[in-house]
Amino acid sequence: MLELHGVHKRFGELHVLRGIDLAVARGSVFCVIGPSGSGKSTLLRCINLLEAPDEGRILLEGTEITGKGSRDGIDFVRRRVGIVFQQFNLFPQRTVLGNVSLAQEKVLDRPADEARAKAESLLRRVGLGDKIDEYPERLSGGQQQRVAIARALAMEPHVMLFDEVTSALDPELIKEVLDVMRELADEGMTMVVVTHEMGFAREVGSQVVFMDEGVVVEQGPPQEVLERPRNERTQRFLGLVLEH
Amino acid sequence: MDVIIEQYFDVSLMIDEFDPVLDGFVQTILLSIFGGVLSLLWGLVLAVLRQLPGRAFAPVRAITIAYIDAFRGIPLLLVLLLISGSFGALALEGVIPRAIGIPTFLGKPDPFWYGVMGLTITYGAYMAEVYRAGIEAIPNGQMEAARSLGMSHGQAMRYVIVPQAVRTVIPPLLNDFIALMKDTSLVSVLGFVEVVQAGRDVQSEFFNSSALTLGALFFLVFTIPLARLVDRLISGQQARFQRAQAGPA
Repeated sequence: MLELHGVHKRFGELHVLRGIDLAVARGSVFCVIGPSGSGKSTLLRCINLLEAPDEGRILLEGTEITGKGSRDGIDFVRRRVGIVFQQFNLFPQRTVLGNVSLAQEKVLDRPADEARAKAESLLRRVGLGDKIDEYPERLSGGQQQRVAIARALAMEPHVMLFDEVTSALDPELIKEVLDVMRELADEGMTMVVVTHEMGFAREVGSQVVFMDEGVVVEQGPPQEVLERPRNERTQRFLGLVLEH
Repeated sequence: MDVIIEQYFDVSLMIDEFDPVLDGFVQTILLSIFGGVLSLLWGLVLAVLRQLPGRAFAPVRAITIAYIDAFRGIPLLLVLLLISGSFGALALEGVIPRAIGIPTFLGKPDPFWYGVMGLTITYGAYMAEVYRAGIEAIPNGQMEAARSLGMSHGQAMRYVIVPQAVRTVIPPLLNDFIALMKDTSLVSVLGFVEVVQAGRDVQSEFFNSSALTLGALFFLVFTIPLARLVDRLISGQQARFQRAQAGPA
């Protein structure tokens, strides 16, 4: 479904991604863990072309998406890859319903009533059926993040990217978002999840990828990487994270 | 003291000359409305042009920036005189269309439209900078979210960025509008009778400034409430911003 070969990314002098190779099969849930600055977010942003890799190739469903600077390449990616951000990034001047239906109407050219119906059903699915006419500022963080998930799902993506989506939430609001993500995984969505939630990675992830300083240090099923990490850096990171 | 009141607040003169001064002020309002609306629109166009991304649009950005710098850098009076001095001749020589060179829309004489043009050209530049500040204040995450959903830059600007930006810059835009309203008085040098010219005509006839005082009062009837409106809008925005920062309920 998604392949990365030798992906490098620099920001000026900073070499953030130093050769990433990854193969994400359809229906798998890749949980990417690692310290801050390891390049996890940059990795996600390269997958949906918010950043353009400096070297290497990325293939989505067999089609190469890097090196295609043209609009067509970017459209191809953005209509198949959805992303949910740590800061939600909901559109404040639109209602919840408006947020979920806007891109359907403008990008997919769906008629307004069809977009609205789909938006309502998705919002009900994430447990926000009664909030469709509210404005984002009146919702809790967990509710806003679930709207963001619905908004991305409305475009019917083939892959969903999650960039530390619970890191900005109060602890009691994290579960509701992880539950939605778990259901999504159970339904077979291909997901790449950057997270610090080790419990989620253990229970829902099919592969755990530990990144440090721009490279994949270790990768494997959660039982291996999280319980019996082979690499010393992985062990150190997990020791620190699991301490508290 | 009596002399001051007689010179500036001769009420009977104000009453006698009320109609011509009011007529002049109606012209002031018309200039303000046409100039204001057009410069609000033109300013938005300039701001969007200035923001067009990518190397292909670099010349467009450069020209827009040059325009904005130029017309924020020279006095409105100069612009008005440049237009009125030569547009007629340019039209007669066929360099520019007659409708622009010698404009007479809606029965208004050409100095009126030269005035509207000058105000639009100049205040458009100021408003463009206000819009730009509003656009740049929108967090990057908004554009990223919109683009990630598949919207083009244009769609993201139109449906996500600009609607937010415009809401936040209404107070400074209103301030610019108040300034524009006062600057309509410069159109008087083109021989157009708005409120200042009307007041001057009375002043030169009666050697008394009361008609000008009356004109000033007409201005205050509009500018003071507008200024209070701006204050209320700003404090409303502050309150909402602080609520948003404090987090959800």
